[in-house]
Amino acid sequence: MSRTKTPPSNVESARASAAKAAGQLRRTGISTNLKVTLGILVTALVAVLVVVVINFQGGPHVGRAEVMRTDSNRLSTGATAPEVTVVEFLDFECGGCRAAYADIEKLRGEYRDRVAFVIRYFPLKIHPNAQNAAYAAEAAARQGKLEQMYKTLFDNQAAWAGKREPQTATFEKYAEGIGLDVDRFKKDVRSAEVRARVKTDVSDGTQLGLTGTPSFFVNGEPFAGKARYGPLKAAIDAALAK
Amino acid sequence: MTATLDRELTDRPVLSGRLVGWVLLCAGLVGALAAFVLAVEKFALLKDPGYRPSCSINPILSCGSVMTTGQAEVFGFPNPLIGVAAFPVVVATGAALLAGARLPRWWWLGMQAGALFGVGFVHWLAFQSLYRIGALCPYCMAVWVVMILIFTYVTVHNVGGVLARVHTAVPVAWLLLLAGLIGVRFWDYWRTLL
Repeated sequence: MSRTKTPPSNVESARASAAKAAGQLRRTGISTNLKVTLGILVTALVAVLVVVVINFQGGPHVGRAEVMRTDSNRLSTGATAPEVTVVEFLDFECGGCRAAYADIEKLRGEYRDRVAFVIRYFPLKIHPNAQNAAYAAEAAARQGKLEQMYKTLFDNQAAWAGKREPQTATFEKYAEGIGLDVDRFKKDVRSAEVRARVKTDVSDGTQLGLTGTPSFFVNGEPFAGKARYGPLKAAIDAALAK
Repeated sequence: MTATLDRELTDRPVLSGRLVGWVLLCAGLVGALAAFVLAVEKFALLKDPGYRPSCSINPILSCGSVMTTGQAEVFGFPNPLIGVAAFPVVVATGAALLAGARLPRWWWLGMQAGALFGVGFVHWLAFQSLYRIGALCPYCMAVWVVMILIFTYVTVHNVGGVLARVHTAVPVAWLLLLAGLIGVRFWDYWRTLL
């Protein structure tokens, strides 16, 4: 198209200007591009390094992380001197936790006299109401009804999970359903103590290197198997046999 | 060589047709493949709701949780079907350029319109994925990347000028920004992997 701009007789000068343009392109075009691109890449790399360094300066306090704390919530069993303790880090909105819940309930019945079951909160950010659910459970625990709330949240998971909107009203309804003092429940859900409690669990879980939920520990040892009845039972039996 | 001469005689910096051709060919192939895999996974998921897609790796990298949302079929049919139909056009355009074809202006305008729609759409999907669904789907992210490349190179080809001078810087900055948003959004998760 643009060739028509140049008279055919002027091939020589066309060549010259073409070479000049090519030179210009090489000088300003290609090198500018490379410079800018590398500049952006280096800047991004530096930014990432700075962020990572700043975040790890405090360092993960691995020594302080604990699988279980003295005040961690224990589900009731008959075991006064349990031989084995199973700790679960759970997220009330996670489907896998819902599935494990049924199995844990079964195991809790079977090992009533010998095993303690402890639950700790590990609400994942990807679940919009997991945090609120953890607050609700902890607020119920303040009135001695953790277990009822734990069951209600999992039994009705399909009704509230996956919703963008805060399920505060739903949880208050559950609180009423299990016979909690709703006014106190509402106050507890918002209280600093309940939030701090959930935060401690999350921070322990994070420092323990948990990548998801449910995550189990049997006598303090991370449980690597599938979080279902069979593998959990095998792990408990192995720990009991020791 | 004629193509190069033509380009150099037009006074503005324009990318060589070969470069644009290669980008469109490769990006189009990757996009088509990703869309095809996503469509196949979607069919498998429809046949068996318990099916676990090959790209559901962990709670964050999970096609399953993304593919079952309403956003996965905004127009009433699975999104990947758009890609299955449209990416081959990009591939064909790239191949035509490499074969030395000179495509008419209307063709490029059509490409521009398609690329604009595509890039807008993947950004909406990226927003939904990050801030509404809260999970990432690897094949979808491959589509985001190639769509940004296709849009950049089609636009650079059509507009030229300053854009052509920084043709790799634009998509690099763009993709880094997206990567940054993903990094920030799921920071709590990434740090558990470190």
